[in-house]
Amino acid sequence: MELANKNSRIFEYLLTFVVIITINFFLPRMMPGDPFLHLSGAAGEEVWAFTAEQREYFTEYYGLDRPLPEQYARYVAGLFQGDMGFSYYYREDVSSIILRRLPWTLFMVVGAVILSLVIGIMAGIFSAWHRESWKDKFLYLFMVIFSEIPAFLLGIVLLIALAAGLGLFPLSGARSHFAGYMGWEGIKDVLHHGALPIITLALARAGGIFMLVRNTCTTVLGKDYIRTARAKGLTERRIRYRHVLKNALLPLITRVALQIGAMVGGAVLVENVFAYPGLGLLMREAVFVRDYPLLQGIFLVLAFGVLGANLLADLLYRFLDPRIKVENVD
Amino acid sequence: MGQVDLSTPLKGLDKGKAGEKLIKFWQELTAFGKVGLVILLFMIILAVGAPYFTWLPHDTSSGPPLVPPGGEHLMGTDELGVDLWSQISFGARVSLLVGLGTALLAGLGGGILGIWGGYKGGLAERILMRVIDIMIVMPDLPVMVILAAFFGSSLTNIIMVLALFSWSHPARIVRSQVMALKEQGYVQMAKSYGAGDFYIIFRHLLPELIPILAVSMVRLSGMAIVTEAGLSFLGLGDPTSRSWGLIINHALNFSGIYFTPFWKWWLLYPWLFLTLLITGLALFGRDLERIADPRILKGRY
Repeated sequence: MELANKNSRIFEYLLTFVVIITINFFLPRMMPGDPFLHLSGAAGEEVWAFTAEQREYFTEYYGLDRPLPEQYARYVAGLFQGDMGFSYYYREDVSSIILRRLPWTLFMVVGAVILSLVIGIMAGIFSAWHRESWKDKFLYLFMVIFSEIPAFLLGIVLLIALAAGLGLFPLSGARSHFAGYMGWEGIKDVLHHGALPIITLALARAGGIFMLVRNTCTTVLGKDYIRTARAKGLTERRIRYRHVLKNALLPLITRVALQIGAMVGGAVLVENVFAYPGLGLLMREAVFVRDYPLLQGIFLVLAFGVLGANLLADLLYRFLDPRIKVENVD
Repeated sequence: MGQVDLSTPLKGLDKGKAGEKLIKFWQELTAFGKVGLVILLFMIILAVGAPYFTWLPHDTSSGPPLVPPGGEHLMGTDELGVDLWSQISFGARVSLLVGLGTALLAGLGGGILGIWGGYKGGLAERILMRVIDIMIVMPDLPVMVILAAFFGSSLTNIIMVLALFSWSHPARIVRSQVMALKEQGYVQMAKSYGAGDFYIIFRHLLPELIPILAVSMVRLSGMAIVTEAGLSFLGLGDPTSRSWGLIINHALNFSGIYFTPFWKWWLLYPWLFLTLLITGLALFGRDLERIADPRILKGRY
């Protein structure tokens, strides 16, 4: 593609950025009737009663009495100052609620990405090395099935088996209540609570990485330079992780970037399985009480996170691939 | 044609061309694909024949709450005393309807857009690709959660939102295929003989596109079913639909369910059916991709 140069990529990200903000801006305004009617509670839902003061706040916040372009400008200007509105359920600024919950989601997603890479790469190289033997076939079957089961369904099983059944892990939360662990004890506590959500998310995603590594490595293993490396008498380990893995790295980065969106979606659901206090759990709480400003804030942060991760992967790819500087590879 | 012997349809099918094709298709599938197809067929039969396979109402109480499986209640009852087997049979309808509806809408829409972009080229194609690129980095689930929260979560809404966020896959595949086909000798020749755009699209392109579109739609339906279950699990499902995801949601909302024996049926069965259907669809779809054209569809999802 002749357009795939650096500037157009950045333009594309900017455009996506604008689209997301615009969706967020128009959502409450696109609802049939007055956003108010809905903010005042849909029929049959648990209704949060709106006082006159709150109604006034919403009219003011959404600027409903002003022309649309001005509303939009005000909205965007507010966002750049970190103003995402005010949550009426929590009686707090949306941005500060989100900031408090964000680290947990970040911890979980980053942990799961790393763990899924470790599992996927090790299993993938192992499988490629033992291609077509029973070891490879067994691993392949195992990974295919795991990669198709959605993370939250997997999480329910792990929760019942490992947490409720065997009591190996805590059932919910991210920290022990009232324990006040500090230092090393505190880190251990956080890891213990985070283990199951991270393992769940990683297992559900490791399959895709495994397939990719397995395929790339099988191709690479047939190359001449691998034979040369063997002839030089290098250890198997060195060949596997230096010569083979290096060549599987680039498609891997693209893969992980493409998966980030699904990973965040999975995290939202998995957090709800384990009652892990990140943005996903917050999102469900916001849905439950119909706290729209909060819901929109979470959506924005998650969308920007995914966008940022993709941009990062793009830059990393450019940095790692020497070919891309000479010619543009699609 | 007049005297068709209906008593031996299978024998007739064996000899017929369609039958041969079906058998050939079956033989081409790997063991994974066969398992997937069987699961899928089982679920379709379950959904279509739900009223015949169940003997208790699926939407009202028919016994004491939380009865373990056995006797009249094949899979026990939930907290309101509603029979679980009936709920699961009728729940299959919801899942399959969501899968089919989304796949048809997104497949058709994405297909048309892909043909349009790929065939026209130029600005149309560039706009299409830009929009697709935007759709790809959009995190699906958070978008759907927020749309479902704002616009209400009736089944129709869910299907429409799902279709809105999944048309980019078929569009991308169709576009690249159309761009390749367009350059083929026979298409160029038809064009030089003065064939119109519509003639070329319907006569020459569509027959080549339908198989890959069908494969993409199998994949789409799987994703749609997963997402609907996820939305229901978050409490954003159609409250009147009683889908499997919603049963799981209710079960998990029952506090301390892990320490009661109730999860052994209330949570287990909807979980099992959902996992079976999703895995079956995925295995079948994976195999179809391999058969249709490994080069086109590889690594798309």
